[in-house]
Amino acid sequence: MGAARMMRMPSYGSRLISGLAFGVMAVFFVVPLIFMIVVSFYQPDPMGFYKVDFVLENYAKFFSSFYYTVSLRSLYSSALGAVLVVAFAFPLVLFVSDLSRSHQQFWIISLLSLMCLSEVIIGFAWLILMSQSAGIPGFLEWIGLWDNPRSLSPSFGAMMIGLVFLGFSIVALILYPSVSRRDRSIEEAAVTLGTPPRLVFFKILLPTFRASLVPVTLTMFVYMLGVFVMPTMLGRPKDWTMTVIISDKALGDANLPLGAALAVVMLIVTVLVLIASAVLTRRRTP
Amino acid sequence: MRTLYFWIIGTLLIAPFVVVLGVSVGASSNIAFPPESLSIIWYRELLTEPEWLAAIGRSLLIAVVAGLIATVLALAINYVLWRTKTGFAKATFALGLGPFLLPPIILALGASLFWAQVGWYGRMEATIISHGVFFVTLPLVIIARGFAALTDEVVEAAQMMGATPAQVFRTVVFPLVAPYVFTGFALVAIISVNEYLIANMISGFVVETLPIKIFNNVRYGYSPVVAAASIFFVALTVTILLILSRITDLVALFGTSKDT
Repeated sequence: MGAARMMRMPSYGSRLISGLAFGVMAVFFVVPLIFMIVVSFYQPDPMGFYKVDFVLENYAKFFSSFYYTVSLRSLYSSALGAVLVVAFAFPLVLFVSDLSRSHQQFWIISLLSLMCLSEVIIGFAWLILMSQSAGIPGFLEWIGLWDNPRSLSPSFGAMMIGLVFLGFSIVALILYPSVSRRDRSIEEAAVTLGTPPRLVFFKILLPTFRASLVPVTLTMFVYMLGVFVMPTMLGRPKDWTMTVIISDKALGDANLPLGAALAVVMLIVTVLVLIASAVLTRRRTP
Repeated sequence: MRTLYFWIIGTLLIAPFVVVLGVSVGASSNIAFPPESLSIIWYRELLTEPEWLAAIGRSLLIAVVAGLIATVLALAINYVLWRTKTGFAKATFALGLGPFLLPPIILALGASLFWAQVGWYGRMEATIISHGVFFVTLPLVIIARGFAALTDEVVEAAQMMGATPAQVFRTVVFPLVAPYVFTGFALVAIISVNEYLIANMISGFVVETLPIKIFNNVRYGYSPVVAAASIFFVALTVTILLILSRITDLVALFGTSKDT
């Protein structure tokens, strides 16, 4: 053991590799972020990209009613989506973790496939599913439940379904390790003593997993703030989130400084949520 | 109760794709489900139209090279951390977790401004590098599991026989972490092939990848080729993951085994 540790003194080669890897991450990940913060203080230029300057007007615009309302609405839909997705995914993960190994494997691969699939494709699929001619409305008409069907999207509900669908596989896969490795003795004891399943869920499982459920909800909140395709495909313009507005300002209106300033505000919100998440996790786990 | 929940969730997760599949094999050029008559014209169009083929080729090229960049980076960071355990190595690892924690729009806008400034707007290399760097997190944590499973004994044995660090890496370390490296590579490639926002912000007008093309098609004039392209995508993604599950134990990778 001692010999192996001795041999692990930083050598020239490993320093070089380390420096290179750090350099790549710094140049292509950190520098663009810093540059974005710099641009957020530049002057917008209708003719080109931006004029080098130091102004606060881009941030001042954020506090005008439009962006303010959009941000609040983004926060609302992300929070709602995060809570819903965890509420749906947690029971599924609990159930899956009790299945046989091969069935678990089937679910894992399915969820992994869903997680990797493009937002664009999922959005498109739901767009068709909610369309009048091919989806749920047509089906309801066919079984006689809806006389006069119309398309269900774009709407706030359609957007939320898209968001929940998108987050579902991610939440399930994040929760899966801790749920599948849980100590089952307490719930088994409760069941043996005749506790109804509903009580087992609310009195034992929920409190046990609070330490994983709270951070995963916050992670989802941040994730949903950043979803772009669902609001544009399934939501109405008034449901558009901050992400859509940022992209719209930067690409559509070519107002890069304003887009950058909005993105910096979003970055600040994200960092605050991540810090909150870290603090909560640390306090709850001994 | 449990079975019911399984069925409801299962149905909801699969329903969108069943409908898209139905549309993609329908003969009519309007969206209709269930299809009135079956045909493969949309698939033929997807695989013969030069524009669709170019988008597919571009996406696959970006995915493979970005996958290589991300995996090499993740392997390097993990290797140095495992060998030296210095604060600098830990900081590099933490930096690698960063992109996963931020909303993609922030990364996308930053990258877009950066590449425009560098003068690489519209070059595929820009998309490739940004994908490679932003998706480093997944291989980073997966390969870390591989290094965690390495025991000191095998390495010590190799060192006692007089192996240099390079030889130890080549003959002992790499073969043992290879399955993790491969899994990381495959996941980055899949995610890159499916990614829309970052690719679009960096140079979406010039470097049109498959998701960008699908998105534009859905927004501006729709044709069932989009459905065929989507099914192509789903099939590709699921196939790669199935192959992966034969090579490595995906369930164990997600941490079921009780002893870890």
